[in-house]
Amino acid sequence: MISDSFLNRLKDILGPSHVDHSEAGLLTYAYDATPNFQSKPDVVVMPGNTEEVSKIVKLCLEHEVPIVPRGSGTNLAAGTAPTQGGLVLLFNRMDQILEIDKENLTATVQPGVITQTICETVESQGLFYPPDPSSMKISTIGGNINENSGGLRGLKYGVTKDYILGLEVVLPNGDIIQTGGKLAKDVAGYDITKLLVGSEGTLGIVTEAILKLIPKPEHKQTLLAVYQSMDQAAETVSSIIAQKITPATLEFMDQPTIGAVEEYAHIGLPTEAEAVLLIEQDGPQAIVENDIEQIADICEKHGALEVTIAETEQEANQLREGRRAALSAIARLSPTTILEDATVPRSEIARMVQAINQIAEKYNVGIATFGHAGDGNLHPTCMTDARDEDEMERVEKAFEEIFAHAIECGGTITGEHGVGEMKSPYLAWKVGERGLEAMKNIKTAFDPHNIMNPGKMFAKDTKKRITI
Amino acid sequence: MKLCQKHGLPIVPRGSGTNLAAGTTPSQGGVVLIFRNMNDIVELDEENLALTVQPGVLTEEIHQYVEEQGLFYPPDPSSGKISTIGGNISENSGGLRGLKYGVTKDYILALEVVLPNGDIVRTGGKLAKDVAGYDLKSLLVGSEGTLGIVTEATLKLIPKPFYKETMLAVYESLEDAAETVSAILANRIIPATLEFMDQGTIQVVEGYKQIGLPTDCEAILLIEQDGPKEIVEQDIEKMYSICKEYGALSLSKAVTEQEAEELTRARKDALSCLAYLSPTTILEDATVPRSKIAPMVREIKKVADKYDVRIHTFGHAGDGNLHPTCATDARDKEEMARVEEAFAEIFQIAVDMGGTITGEHGVGEMKAPYLEWKVGELGIEIMKAIKQAIDPNNIMNPGKVFAKSTKKRVVVSNV
Repeated sequence: MISDSFLNRLKDILGPSHVDHSEAGLLTYAYDATPNFQSKPDVVVMPGNTEEVSKIVKLCLEHEVPIVPRGSGTNLAAGTAPTQGGLVLLFNRMDQILEIDKENLTATVQPGVITQTICETVESQGLFYPPDPSSMKISTIGGNINENSGGLRGLKYGVTKDYILGLEVVLPNGDIIQTGGKLAKDVAGYDITKLLVGSEGTLGIVTEAILKLIPKPEHKQTLLAVYQSMDQAAETVSSIIAQKITPATLEFMDQPTIGAVEEYAHIGLPTEAEAVLLIEQDGPQAIVENDIEQIADICEKHGALEVTIAETEQEANQLREGRRAALSAIARLSPTTILEDATVPRSEIARMVQAINQIAEKYNVGIATFGHAGDGNLHPTCMTDARDEDEMERVEKAFEEIFAHAIECGGTITGEHGVGEMKSPYLAWKVGERGLEAMKNIKTAFDPHNIMNPGKMFAKDTKKRITI
Repeated sequence: MKLCQKHGLPIVPRGSGTNLAAGTTPSQGGVVLIFRNMNDIVELDEENLALTVQPGVLTEEIHQYVEEQGLFYPPDPSSGKISTIGGNISENSGGLRGLKYGVTKDYILALEVVLPNGDIVRTGGKLAKDVAGYDLKSLLVGSEGTLGIVTEATLKLIPKPFYKETMLAVYESLEDAAETVSAILANRIIPATLEFMDQGTIQVVEGYKQIGLPTDCEAILLIEQDGPKEIVEQDIEKMYSICKEYGALSLSKAVTEQEAEELTRARKDALSCLAYLSPTTILEDATVPRSKIAPMVREIKKVADKYDVRIHTFGHAGDGNLHPTCATDARDKEEMARVEEAFAEIFQIAVDMGGTITGEHGVGEMKAPYLEWKVGELGIEIMKAIKQAIDPNNIMNPGKVFAKSTKKRVVVSNV
């Protein structure tokens, strides 16, 4: 619980209208997109600038009140759930695009800007910010930075971290530091920028960021290929890469996902197919046309039942619609949806999908898988009911086995969602006890009083490792 | 490591010792650790486009090996012929292809590292996406041997570009050259190479090599593009007209591989020609936002005049990474004092322009007193906290990155 004097000082810093401790306010921020981690914060604040953030941090440090920075709360690993109460920090008043520097190809933004707004703004000027997490319509860039969000264009263009040139950060002691700059090369000291990107709000609060932009690709084409077997789809992916083609998008859906999507969107997908690949290429027109033609050939050679190349933007949109609708389509099927993001080396995708299906059967749970085939980032998605305790237990066991399997394939427990609180018991499986220890030492160096998003990333105990 | 820890002995990991910031000098004695016996290419994974190597492999050996398989490892530090990949990783080396392809850090997928307590940890994997915990890998790349010892690395490869073209543009004024650089990028072209030499460098190169460079011009741009043939041809054609439009005095486009070789030779020979000038050559790498290149080169010239030292500048125009190079004599203490003052002023100007004291060479011991100018006192504090957390007894490359005291800031006007 927080004291009245703490509240009053918050109001002094921010003005009373930007401090919310009403029951409705606290309930609103008691959860994120992760099922089963609801917990009310003690207070919700809306700072308007970096100095205010710094003052809030110093005050919280003095009173040892946990701070949970929060973008739009789309996190799927309970990374923004205030599970130890404390203060939720919102950025809806720090939501400006401060500058687009066309000469140095950078955008300077505040953390509260919606990702899609950035994409649209820079694209209207012929520029391009590639990271496109599926939540981009509502997620904030601050959230993307803290989670190192990926997206559909990861294979060709990389992830959020690859596009962060510099940060302004409030550290857990209230210090304000600037890292990086509008620089393609900078090796002055340790790379605090990259350490902070993806640190899930546990090391500091991002209050401004310089993004790297690139020229907008001139042309784009979209193709959909339908397969009778998962192996054929996986072979297609490997073969495309072996042909030295790097598509902008290389997405995949399995049979349960196709079924759910078709039932929801009626776009004419063959529900008996075991796999669908959605492939896009962008770049100069001649190259795109050439690549798409080659890709279509490869798909056919590897046994695609059907290959459709979109002739118009409208047709392309229809093809994309299926993959885009995947999560919503699956979410309709049950009261609770748990979306994971176990990631494996590209060469292991077919094996991994097979393993997921076997695990789902073993524990008698419904799991549909879709994801980014090109970069090995899969989204096994469980359709369940959080009220059914017996089933939830089986779901947890199934996901445990999926994580263990991903790691045995040389993969990771999370490709783009983050560890948060939900996956923290499994982190040591990936990074090892020694790796975890080094990370904890870094955490203590930054945040000795553990006020920044406590309980996230590091669990009290590591789950006992299961053997497969 | 455990033995050194027990005896409190400093450890200095060393590749080929090409470092230009005293990063691999054992200035506090101790153990120098060399990787001559750890120089194997461990595995090429064509399906995942990944190459696993030991730290002692030469950078150029990696280039040759993967290019034979139609693959490409882009980072190409100028020292690539003798530098090791372990050194490149510890320094986060750049190179001529930085603008289009990025630097070493962008191509490290996984590391095996021995931490200062002797623990062996593995970070990353053959993964395009991995957000499991803090990014120890990115922290270690460029940490200059102060946080641990890299014992194995998995590199990201990309398909080798099919085709490449080269051209050279000569300018009467520095501003024209700088405007050309901006215009090329504004036209949405990102060339593979966009290198620059100033008048002093041109004169020295021409003096030694007599390859027909016009010594009365203020700047030369060397431009290369790679990729699919039709795109390269189209880009080079566009850049050709941009150069012309922005006042290039003369333009040469290589028709054959041999001609391309001749055009690039001038830039490649820049450092060795400058090194002929005097007993001592000090090569720096102050880096500024791309838009500040012309003013930065002018400022460097002014500083050289002010302190009466010989500084010529060449470098990577596309990414703002300049190499002001001083021809001097380490035995002349009076001149060396002026050289140091000149470089201090250059660092200050770079930082004031939104740049950095080092773009690709590292801080080492030489630039440690200036680090605070770039990252601030609070930035240093947090970096020291990280160092302390990973290496509490300070046995890993002590005296590097962090100086005992920071240089007093130079006050620079007219920037």
